[in-house]
Amino acid sequence: MTAATSARGVPLTPGRSPLVRALSRPELGSVIGAVIIAAFFATQTAEFASSAGIANVLDVTATLGIMAVAVALLMIGGEFDLSAGVLTASTGLVTALLVDQLGVNIWEGIAWSLLFALAVGFLNGILVTRTRLPSFIVTLGTFLALQGINVGVTKHLTDTVQVGGVDEAQGYGAARAVFASTATIGDGQFRVAILWWIGVAVVATLLLIRTKFGNWIFASGGAPTSARSVGVPVGRTKILLFMTTATAAWLVGTISVVRLTSVQANVGLGEEFNYIIAAVIGGCLLTGGAGSAIGASIGALIYGMTQQGIVFAQWDTDWFPLFLGGMLLAAVLINTVVVRRRAEDSPG
Amino acid sequence: MRPDVHPIDDIQAALDGAGDQLPESDIPPHTPLLEVRGLGKRYGGVVALQGISATVNSGEVTCVLGDNGAGKSTLIKILSGVVSFDQGQYFVAGKRVKFSSPRQALDRGIATVFQDLAIVPLMSIWRNFFLGSEPTRGVWPLRRLDVEQAQDITVAELARFGLDVQDPHQPVGTLSGGERQCVAIARAVYFGARVLILDEPTASLGVKQAGMVLRHVVQARERGLGVIFITHNPRHAYPVGDRFILLNHGAMVANVTREDIDLDDLTQLMSGGADLDELAHEVEDPPHR
Amino acid sequence: MGRGAWLALTAAIALILCGCTAGSRSEDSAGPVVESSRATETPTATPLGDPDRLLTFAVVTHGTAGDSFWDVVKTGAEDAGAADNIEIDYQADPEPGGQAQLIDAATSSQVDGLIVSMPDPDALQESIARAEAAGIPVVTIDAGEERSAEFGALTHVGQSAASVGEGAGVRLREAGVTKLLCVIHEAGNVSLEERCQGAALGLGANPSGGDVEDVMHTMRVNASNIAVTETTIASELRTDPEIDGVLTLNPAVADAAAAAIEAAGSAAMLATFDLNADVFQSIRNGQILFAVDQQQYLQGYLPVVFLALYARNGNVVGGGQPVPTGPRYITVENVDSVEDLASNGTR
Repeated sequence: MTAATSARGVPLTPGRSPLVRALSRPELGSVIGAVIIAAFFATQTAEFASSAGIANVLDVTATLGIMAVAVALLMIGGEFDLSAGVLTASTGLVTALLVDQLGVNIWEGIAWSLLFALAVGFLNGILVTRTRLPSFIVTLGTFLALQGINVGVTKHLTDTVQVGGVDEAQGYGAARAVFASTATIGDGQFRVAILWWIGVAVVATLLLIRTKFGNWIFASGGAPTSARSVGVPVGRTKILLFMTTATAAWLVGTISVVRLTSVQANVGLGEEFNYIIAAVIGGCLLTGGAGSAIGASIGALIYGMTQQGIVFAQWDTDWFPLFLGGMLLAAVLINTVVVRRRAEDSPG
Repeated sequence: MRPDVHPIDDIQAALDGAGDQLPESDIPPHTPLLEVRGLGKRYGGVVALQGISATVNSGEVTCVLGDNGAGKSTLIKILSGVVSFDQGQYFVAGKRVKFSSPRQALDRGIATVFQDLAIVPLMSIWRNFFLGSEPTRGVWPLRRLDVEQAQDITVAELARFGLDVQDPHQPVGTLSGGERQCVAIARAVYFGARVLILDEPTASLGVKQAGMVLRHVVQARERGLGVIFITHNPRHAYPVGDRFILLNHGAMVANVTREDIDLDDLTQLMSGGADLDELAHEVEDPPHR
Repeated sequence: MGRGAWLALTAAIALILCGCTAGSRSEDSAGPVVESSRATETPTATPLGDPDRLLTFAVVTHGTAGDSFWDVVKTGAEDAGAADNIEIDYQADPEPGGQAQLIDAATSSQVDGLIVSMPDPDALQESIARAEAAGIPVVTIDAGEERSAEFGALTHVGQSAASVGEGAGVRLREAGVTKLLCVIHEAGNVSLEERCQGAALGLGANPSGGDVEDVMHTMRVNASNIAVTETTIASELRTDPEIDGVLTLNPAVADAAAAAIEAAGSAAMLATFDLNADVFQSIRNGQILFAVDQQQYLQGYLPVVFLALYARNGNVVGGGQPVPTGPRYITVENVDSVEDLASNGTR
């Protein structure tokens, strides 16, 4: 309040020492958390820091991370997508059914499945932006609809609730190389999904901080009315974000169906919350307008390290949700404090 | 009662200087930047505005004064293209116009800074400055924000309004109210505004912050813009205004120039004399506030 | 986390269902009095001996939509209904509260017979008693054998989880397994816990439970994400190299375990409950030692036949003794004979 004077050329309201600036990075809390968790399990268990242990942690992290990054973009844009988890099953089912029932080349199946995902994302986006209903409700509807379609269509076409035979499709070898191959380093088998995850995180980071669209994402979530009045196409931005989440779900669904060679109609349920949890642990604001792709990736890493670390430490895996809940609450508290520091301490 | 006892002394000084420097030739002869004749607007059967005639010239500040409900916000909404009018005429640079969207008004160089300022508090100064009109370089898919250019322009443009931005990454939410107004005004000016409409920019600000905003109004005028300054506070309007339009119940009760009126008269005109004593006391005794 | 949130979702849906059933219940607010008096006059309210009467049976289970096991049960019930001119109304809710409401709804619509799985007998006791008071004969299936007779059910079709688990444990011990990893894919499902406890007994644990940890380690996984399940099992096998056997309770988890054993370079033997196409494949190539086939098709089919016989002819099969449907062990010797049937959705 005291800093601004009416003399010419005075500095702006200060209050941003380098330390404060570092503390207001949204992903800082998650980085510290990740380091502590990694150090803890690395010293407590022999397997965690081994090549095989790292491979396992990254395996869990990779597919979660791909989704967490996409969901983080959507959350920064101010929306949720509860249908993302079940869509990973839907996209896998589309590919598997086309391959199994019609005998198409697997790449063709994967392409159709991408179209399907984009259509679902577009539908989510248009419903949310046109009706102005909370995305929580709209995508809950899509979630339930997809769940019904997954089981109903699969049951109708195959008489069972599982579709297999993906590995017998034409082009499977190439698809496996792209989506599900592994590289052995030491005694650990590192999955190619890790590269996809890193790629998605890098692209999303550049998109967020180095493009016009990234600017629009922050503005659409942070202050949609203001964004609209300076000409940001908020509706279009949000529709594209829903389509981005759907595309990520397609990628994860494809990685999963190629890797497992079969897909069960009821998988993916509840996974959407893990994506949101990872994004929030990584510093995404539930109210939109703040967050980062790197943070969401670190959130996914924390999830993966804790989930596998508990197994390595021979603890009862029943306790995992307790740890996750604790970290989630801590993250939400830290995020709130950081945002207050960033925006609400303003004088005048 | 002299106007220069206003608490913002340096504003008055700047004002006096600016008034002297303004060359006659900068004002285009006989073609005002903006002119309205007999403007009126009804909402259903209710008359919100009627018979408004006014001009805004380059390098002039036109203050629109009036209490809540006097019709100020309807007038801005018409001028900025948010709503259309149903009586009268509206000219921009001599051409008759009827806007159906704020975008059209903006394209004619009429920029409005509403009270919410259209800023995103969590975003940095430079991102806010260019929001919606981001400079890019490279070709798709490698097209990217021209971050250096955007930051340099932001720093330079804010410096022209007297703000020294050392960290363009600083979130706008950490700025003071006056500084936020400055960002919004500087942005409108940079993006080609010829007429700047400011909607109650000093309404929620303390004395120092309000003084800062008034200084920006003067600076915008110095740069040859026509400024429409909406306020309910004659003490904010008088030091910067060249022309004063008073609205009451949707009608124009006065349209006077600075030469024709002093602050006391303006205050009295606005309050209708009812609570004059109280206001006069306030005006006479500013240091105690 | 995932499952908890999912439960919250289903709870929300159950609330909606609750609204519906509450409505239909209030419509029938005078019903219980009338019906209980009718029940006193004629203990078996359903008229017996009319072979042409169209019967409607309700099947209320705790399966989730898309669960391969319950899908086969449903098919079994529908096939039996189609063969015997009986209308089958299959409903399922994994939450005991929701299941109780579905039973109440069936009672309100005055079905001719009720087939119920009882993972949580206490939660269903009241609803089942209400159905019986309304004169609806009840057959319990799958879980809940211990309480079936006590609740007045005609009979129970299925096999107690503990005894099936013990059978699997014995077979694993005979194959040389000394330390077993039992993988539970639904936290808090009593019958899955019982299978693992049974397996521990079969492996030679003291029934008092003191040395269960020596022969068996249980772990929870999330069956909604098979890839993570695979990795988690691999981590466990790496961490505890003494594990030389893995028992999964769901075929999708079995696929994940087979891949995990390979990835971890473990020599553990794998056995599973229930079947799917990949399980057959793994049995044939030796990755899975055996699969415990509960023949759950019978858990759908037989109760319909039993109830029809009871309604039309007054028969009670076995005088009310539990009717076991399994286990049948599918191994490399008999896998070919069963495999074709699984793709029909009947195994």
